[in-house]
Amino acid sequence: MNETIISRRFFLTTAVAASGGLLIGSTLRPEMLGAAATQPSATNFPLNAPLNAPFNARLNAPLNAWIRISANDEVTLISSQSEMGQGAMTTLPAILAEELCADWSRVKIEFSPVEPAYRNPRINWQFTGNSESTTGFFDLLQTMGASAREMLVAAAANRWGVKPEECYADNGKIIHKPSERALKFGEIAEDAAKAPPPQNPKLKRQSEWKLLGRPLARVELPAKLNGEAVFGIDFILPGMVHAAVMQCPVHSGAISSFDKDSVMKLPGLIDVVPIPNGIAVVAKHYWQAGQALKSLKLSIDGGANSDVSSETLEKQYRAALDGDVWKTVRTEGQGLRGEEMTGKFAEVFSQEYESQFLAHATMEPMNCTASVTDDSCTIWGPLQGPELAKLTLSGMLKLPPEKVSINRTLLGGGFGRRLLVDFVVQAALVSRVVGKPVKVVWSREEDIQHDVYRPATLHRVTAGLDKSGKPAALAHKLVSPSILQFVYGPAVTEDNDPSCLEGLMETHYEIPSQRVDFKLLKVGVPTSVLRTTGYGPNIFAVESFIDELAAKAEQDPYEFRRGLSKDERSLKVLETLVEKSDWKKRPAKGVARGMAYTEAFRTHIAHVVELSVKDNSVRIHRITCVIDCGVALDPEITKNSIEGGAVWGLGVAFKSNISFKHGRTVESNFHNYKIAQMDETPPIEVHIVNSSAKGLGGTGEVGPVTLIPAVTNAIFAATGKRYRSLPLSRHGLKLV
Amino acid sequence: MKQITFNVNGKPVTVEAEPEKPLLWVLREDLGLTGAKYGCGMALCGCCTVHLNGDAIRSCVTPFSRVEGKSVTTIEGLSPDLSHPVQRAWLETQTPQCGYCQPGQMMSAACLLAQKANPTDADIDDAMSGNLCRCGTYSRIRKAIHRAAEIAASHRGRK
Amino acid sequence: MAQRIKLGLIGCLLCFVLLAAGGGSIGGYAQSHDAAGARAAFLEAYKVFAHPRCVNCHPAGDAPLQGDDGHPHAFRVRRGEDGRGVFAAKCSNCHQTQNQSGEHAAPGAPYPPEDREHLSEPRWHLPSSATPLTFEKRSPAQLCRQLLNRKQNGGLAPEQLVHHVSHDPLVLWGWNPGGGRSTPPLSHEDFVQKIREWVEKGCACPK
Repeated sequence: MNETIISRRFFLTTAVAASGGLLIGSTLRPEMLGAAATQPSATNFPLNAPLNAPFNARLNAPLNAWIRISANDEVTLISSQSEMGQGAMTTLPAILAEELCADWSRVKIEFSPVEPAYRNPRINWQFTGNSESTTGFFDLLQTMGASAREMLVAAAANRWGVKPEECYADNGKIIHKPSERALKFGEIAEDAAKAPPPQNPKLKRQSEWKLLGRPLARVELPAKLNGEAVFGIDFILPGMVHAAVMQCPVHSGAISSFDKDSVMKLPGLIDVVPIPNGIAVVAKHYWQAGQALKSLKLSIDGGANSDVSSETLEKQYRAALDGDVWKTVRTEGQGLRGEEMTGKFAEVFSQEYESQFLAHATMEPMNCTASVTDDSCTIWGPLQGPELAKLTLSGMLKLPPEKVSINRTLLGGGFGRRLLVDFVVQAALVSRVVGKPVKVVWSREEDIQHDVYRPATLHRVTAGLDKSGKPAALAHKLVSPSILQFVYGPAVTEDNDPSCLEGLMETHYEIPSQRVDFKLLKVGVPTSVLRTTGYGPNIFAVESFIDELAAKAEQDPYEFRRGLSKDERSLKVLETLVEKSDWKKRPAKGVARGMAYTEAFRTHIAHVVELSVKDNSVRIHRITCVIDCGVALDPEITKNSIEGGAVWGLGVAFKSNISFKHGRTVESNFHNYKIAQMDETPPIEVHIVNSSAKGLGGTGEVGPVTLIPAVTNAIFAATGKRYRSLPLSRHGLKLV
Repeated sequence: MKQITFNVNGKPVTVEAEPEKPLLWVLREDLGLTGAKYGCGMALCGCCTVHLNGDAIRSCVTPFSRVEGKSVTTIEGLSPDLSHPVQRAWLETQTPQCGYCQPGQMMSAACLLAQKANPTDADIDDAMSGNLCRCGTYSRIRKAIHRAAEIAASHRGRK
Repeated sequence: MAQRIKLGLIGCLLCFVLLAAGGGSIGGYAQSHDAAGARAAFLEAYKVFAHPRCVNCHPAGDAPLQGDDGHPHAFRVRRGEDGRGVFAAKCSNCHQTQNQSGEHAAPGAPYPPEDREHLSEPRWHLPSSATPLTFEKRSPAQLCRQLLNRKQNGGLAPEQLVHHVSHDPLVLWGWNPGGGRSTPPLSHEDFVQKIREWVEKGCACPK
């Protein structure tokens, strides 16, 4: 007899469907985070924490927006930030738990709803990105945790009739030191919640930390190892149907007509629904929808961008760089333009650098599940921009914001792509038409061809040099399309986008005259934020240029950079780098080294890359990185992120490239959009300098920033050839 | 549509689906086993890797008909309790970042270790270069495979 | 009369010796000894052997090749001892019993239909490392001698070679490669014809 065995989760889902209940799929998955075999960890997150739903204070007291403690001593910590591999759902709750003095092995973690309390304080907007999760929330979460702790202490002291100063919190209990009486958090939480929060709660000193500053087992890891982790693409809701989508292959073009009858008889077919610039085929199962989409007869109207190509874009960039329409965004000292330097210096030296269009290519393609009714909209998906999603849907569906509910799953990579809400809008529109919950999933081809790309940049750097070859004046001319346009519109004006200028607006190199002129280019392909944002291409240009100046001055690249800076933190990072990379020791025969340094996302970072070049094959032997991010709240997560950033950087340096033809993206899958592989990845050492600087630095995206110019600087050291445009595959170089 | 009987994670199953439907979607949609992931649909990324009679196949291109009478193991079946040496090593080394590619990585690694108890770095290159990781955890995966080999050896030592 | 018989016997003996030297037995084929004709036929067939569809799976090195430019197979795939790949990168881990649709999608081929044991299994592999049967960078002379060497060619006699190129699914795949891949310069029919001619004319190898 054959037994039909279905996974327990699936069984629960269908059982509820059979009983007619419309329970949210997430609440049917008690083991969503799995059981940790070797480590206790925070477990279990329902995807929506309904803080504004009625609660029973006796059962589940919220001490503030971030901490709830139930009468049976369950401590729930809220994570405002999405989890995309950067460890935010471990580290940020750990900040709360640290100050709260909770028992970390027993805490539960939930993702927050979209509410003002969870906005990034810097710009008063809820999002996960720009390497701001720890930097943006550290102070707030310290305060919230400490505040809750003091409320618990005060309530316990009050119950005992003792002075609060005689009590302290530790590992989930309040203890009265003299009498050694103790109360579990749960026993006192209801009382604590009634008291007003203290004005200035006392924060722990770094030396008192028990959780922060050391590696913690990541809370969601067990589920990522046994198949239980729920990414957006995995989300199951009873009664949901699936949609495969295709947007007009020409960017911003339209599907002018389609023949619904050409597919409606195919297995599982439910409907064919227009979406912005595209079409969605809806079927019972995703594979059915995808197959039907391939047979759907349709016509496209390419529209205005039909003739856009990499060649036309190159001409557009060139015309802009050679043109005279500039916005001066920075001047220091004399603020000389490149053209104004003639005759004023021993030498004027100028070079151009070019960085390419890139795709995010998150391993989990774009997807979203939506359930839209006449008076509500509920979303489940891998979102970085839940507030943008909520407001966009509210406006589009003409629903009050409180009727739009956003639930975040885990993200299979973000890199900025999931800050946009195009895929969310698609799911909502289709759900509204078919009257059922719908999961929209993009094919990989759709994901790459309708990515919103890291814009290419064209960048001229000019320096006026003194007799020793040191730069006394530095002028930038940067041409770039917008980075922030679809993600945070208020920051973008007709001629400016601050993200494009990152890395150019301040520098630790002391150069008396500095100037940055910017041309915000409007192009016929979509561009947006992508890991490293403006820093990536800008620091590639700057650190390559500085390296060229060092070579011209016949100085060691390290000594040259040293000579330009007096900043303590910069110098410490450079010194540590030189020590750890054996920079001063002669490399083996045929091996050369290159370095690069910068401060990006408020983190000081430097790389040395050691490699050999034979014919056109580049073999990387060793990568050394030193970072100073103020304090590494979790050094293991930081190291993982920086290691991964080096691998990302290798792909950008050597092979990743997006090109255009007839208004369409040429690349479509991993055979032609290439990223680094296991066998190309050398040993990577990451050293963290703990400067305990006030003001944390971000670590999620800084990794590739100095890796890339360190690679090209090393290739120069090895071959004498300077490569100023990426990827290196366009010059015939191959990573082996 | 065809009814096909095969073994999944140690238990016999009968599923009715199109014989040309990729195994990946049979696992994810018909059986609710979402551990194997869709990453490319062209056998280029390895996120869909599962075991078919012990071989690490790419389920996104494997037609459903190919599994008739055979044994499929997914990440959910690697162990009931994260005790497989690969899972233990991945946990110890805290290898995953976003985690999307890791089920495929682990299935490929498990296949490697089943064939070679103590793989060299060159073996790891050969076995794993077709499993892509966008977060770049390759150096950790390498460490984790060596660690898994140690853990597996100590298990054998205890027997 | 006796003289003619004697000559005939000597002729047969010579044929037999020559054929033995050529490494094959006869069996079922009209055999003549036409070295020039055989060589010419082989040189025609060589155009197919030298085409990427064949060379790519008969490489000189350890990795199969891809594309018309014969670059090494992506993702560090290599032959392995039995020619079927190694570890998690075995050929049949990705390649199926038929071509997958789309450009750059993995091609595939089945076992012969009479092979009931391997009905749903992909037949996609290189020659083993012990008998690599390299076509890459082989001159016509080298290739010819290799094909006749039973220690290298899988133990096949010449007439079995004819059968192999006529019916083997992997050979047939060369003319149905999918994904817009180019096909050899001779049709399959013509190629088989040339191989047959080469065998029938005595399997002489180009110099």
